[in-house]
Amino acid sequence: MTEGKLDHFAYDDKIVRNFLMATMIWAGAAFLFGLLAALELAHWPFNLNTEFITFGRLRPLHTNAAIFAFAGNAIFAGIYYSTQRLLKARMFSDALSQIHFWGWQLVIICAAITLPLGYSQSKEYAELEWPIDLLITLIWVVFAINFFGTIKKRREQHMYVAIWFYIATIITVAVLHIINSIELPVSFLQSYPVYAGMQDALVQWWYGHNAVAFFLTTPFLGLMYYYMPKIANRPIYSYRLSIIHFWSLVFIYIWAGPHHLLYTALPDWAQTLGMVFSLMLWAPSWGGMINGLLTLRGAWHLLREDPLVKFMVAAITFYGMATFEGPLLSIKSVSSLGHYTDWIIGHVHIGALGWNGFLTFAMIYYLVPKLWNTKLYSLRLATAHFWIGLLGILLYYISMVTAGITQGLMWRAVDGSGRLVYPDFVETVTKIVPLYWVRAFGGLFYIIGFALMAYNIYRTIKQANTKVVDTKVSAAPLTNHKVEDEEPHKKLEGMGLTFSVLSFIAIAVGSIIEIVPTLSLHKYVEPSKIIDPYTPLQLAGRDIYVKEGCYVCHSQMIRKLPSEVLRYGPASTIEESMWDRPFQWGSKRTGPDLARLGGKYPSLWHFKHMMDPRSTSPGSIMPNYPWLYSKKTDFLILRKKLSVMKGLGVPYSDEEVSQADLNAIKEAKIIADDLRSQGIEMEKLDEKEIVALISYLQALGQKGKK
Amino acid sequence: MKQEALSFFTDTWLTLIGLTIFFTYFVYMIIHVLYVKKEYYDAMEKLPLRGDSK
Repeated sequence: MTEGKLDHFAYDDKIVRNFLMATMIWAGAAFLFGLLAALELAHWPFNLNTEFITFGRLRPLHTNAAIFAFAGNAIFAGIYYSTQRLLKARMFSDALSQIHFWGWQLVIICAAITLPLGYSQSKEYAELEWPIDLLITLIWVVFAINFFGTIKKRREQHMYVAIWFYIATIITVAVLHIINSIELPVSFLQSYPVYAGMQDALVQWWYGHNAVAFFLTTPFLGLMYYYMPKIANRPIYSYRLSIIHFWSLVFIYIWAGPHHLLYTALPDWAQTLGMVFSLMLWAPSWGGMINGLLTLRGAWHLLREDPLVKFMVAAITFYGMATFEGPLLSIKSVSSLGHYTDWIIGHVHIGALGWNGFLTFAMIYYLVPKLWNTKLYSLRLATAHFWIGLLGILLYYISMVTAGITQGLMWRAVDGSGRLVYPDFVETVTKIVPLYWVRAFGGLFYIIGFALMAYNIYRTIKQANTKVVDTKVSAAPLTNHKVEDEEPHKKLEGMGLTFSVLSFIAIAVGSIIEIVPTLSLHKYVEPSKIIDPYTPLQLAGRDIYVKEGCYVCHSQMIRKLPSEVLRYGPASTIEESMWDRPFQWGSKRTGPDLARLGGKYPSLWHFKHMMDPRSTSPGSIMPNYPWLYSKKTDFLILRKKLSVMKGLGVPYSDEEVSQADLNAIKEAKIIADDLRSQGIEMEKLDEKEIVALISYLQALGQKGKK
Repeated sequence: MKQEALSFFTDTWLTLIGLTIFFTYFVYMIIHVLYVKKEYYDAMEKLPLRGDSK
C-alpha cells in the first residue's frame, strides 16, 4: 500500500498549545465557581443577595464551565495531539482548527454571560439558549469536518482504538445535542422545547446521561488508550479487550438514560430498560479500567516514582469506582434511597474530579514539556499536586455520600404508627450542613493542588528558551484506502467511513427504541385526567421559576414511594406535566419537592418566603430573592409566548392568545389585592415578578382538581 | 402486590427487543475478536509508541 518515498510534514502543535492554555484558564474558573457554589450551600449568605451569582444561576455556570470549558478544551487538546500522531497526518485544515478553537471559546463566553443573567432552558448540561445551541452545532460540525478530513488524508492504514472513541464521541454528541435542542424561539434569548413533560424528561435524560457518557467518558477513554501507553512507555494491556470494550460500551451506554427517572411518571418499561442496561455497563466499564491499569503490568514501580503515572492510575481507578457506583445507583431500590440526594453529587464529582480532572492533569504534565521542548519544572510540585488533589477528592466524595445516605434515610424514616419521623424537611437539611463545609474544604484542597500545577506549568513554559516550533516528521503516504483480504475488524479499522456508520448505528438502536414510542404521548395519557394549560400569569411565573434555576434545588416529581406520598401527597402523573415546556421534574432536592405546593400556603407566605426564607422556614439555606420585588413582569411578551405554546399543541384558544397580557394583568391584580389586604404595601405590586411567581407556585398540583 | 406492580409494566416487547439485539451483538463480538490473529493485536498495541520523537 505504501510507496518508497516519504512525505515530510509537520504536526500542528500550535492548536494543541492553544487548547491546553484554554483548559488551564477555564479549569480555574470552573473550580472557583464550584467552590463558591459549595460555600453558598454551607452558608447561605454567600449568595450575597445578588441575582447573578445566586445558587440557582451559579450551579449551571459551574457545570457548564466544568464540562464544556474545562473538559471540552482538554478533550480537544488531547485529540488534536494524538490524532495527528496516530494517523501520521497534520490536521485536515489549520483554518478549521482555528475556527474550532475560537468558536468554542466564543460559546464558553456566551455561556458565561447568559447563564448568570438567567437565560436558561433549565435542562441540565443543555441550559444554553437557542442562538448558542446553533453556534455549538456549527462549531461541532467544523470539528467533525476537520477530524474526518484528517482520517481521510491519513498515512497510517489502521485506526488505533483511541480514534474509534473519538469517532463515537463526535457522532454521538452531534446526535444528542441536535435532538435535545429542538426548540421554538420566543425571543432572542428564550425558547420552548418541542417536547413536553414526560417526553421532555426522557429526551433530556437520554441527553444528560449520554453527555456524561460521550463527552466525559468516551473521549477520555480514547485519551487513556493513547496517553497511558505514552506515559508508561508500554503498549496497552490487551488490544483484543479494547475492541470488546469499545463496541459494548458504545452500544450499551445510550440505553441507560432512564435510570435518572426511576419511580417517576415515566412508563415502567422504559425505566426497567434503563436499569437493566445500566447494570450491563459494569462489564465494559470495568473491562476498560482493567485494560488501562494492567498496562502497567511489570512496571508498577513507575507508580511509586512518576507523578504522571500516579495521576493516570488514580484517574483510571476513579473511573472504575464511578462506573461501579453508577450501575449500583441505577438499581431501583438503591435509587429510591440515593436519588435527589447529595450521594449523586458525590458520584458525579468522583468522575469529574477524579477521572476527568486527574487524567487531564496527567495529560497536561505530559504534553507541556513536549510542546515547549523542555522539561517539567518540578516533579516534586507535581507530586504535591497529586496528594493534595487526592485528599480534596476524598473529602468531597466521602462527605457527599455520607450526606446523601443520611438525608435519604431521614426522608424515608417512618415510625410505628406510620408517620414520618422527620416531617419538617428543613430538619433533614440542617443535619447535613456540616458535611457541606467538609465538601467545601475538599474543593479548596483540589483548587490548591491546581494552583500548584498552574505555577509548575508557568515555570515550565518560562524556562523553555527556544522558539517553539511544530514537530516535523516523515511518513510514507497511503496510496490506497481500500482494504482487502484482511480479517473483519482489521479491515474495518482501515475504513473510516464504514466504521463511523457502524458507530452511528450502535448508538441509534437504543435511542430509537427508547425515545420513539414515548413520542406518542396519547398512549400514556388518561383522557379523563387531562389538565388545563397554564394561565398567562402562571406561564410568566413559570418562566421566572426557570430563570432563577429553582429546579436546581427543588423537584416537581413525587415518586411512587410510600414515604414520598406521605410527605408530599399522591404520586405525580404523566398528565400533570403534559404541558410543561421545559419539564421541571428536577434531579436534586436541596429543598423539598414542589409538585403539590399550590394551595398549601397563602400567597402572603410565599411573598415573605421569597424575600427571606428564614422568616417562614427557620433553618432554611435557601437564598433571598430581593430582586423579584423590584423587577417587573413582561406582560407584553405573553401573547407571543402563548402563541408559541399554541403552535406546539397546547390547547389555547385564539382569544386566550390575543388577550394574554390583559388576562395576566387581571390575574396579577387578584393576587396583589390579596397581599394588600394582608398588609403588604408596595408601589405597583401587580407588576412585580414576585406576583407572577406566586401565581405559578399556587398552581402547582392544583390543575385538574375538582 | 406483584400483579399490581406488573400492571404498570406495559410494552414489554420493547424491553425484549432491546435485550435480544444486545445479546446477539455481544455474542458476535466475542466470537469475532477470538478469531483475529495475535500478530495483528501486537502490531496495533504498539501504534502509539511509534514515531513520535522530534
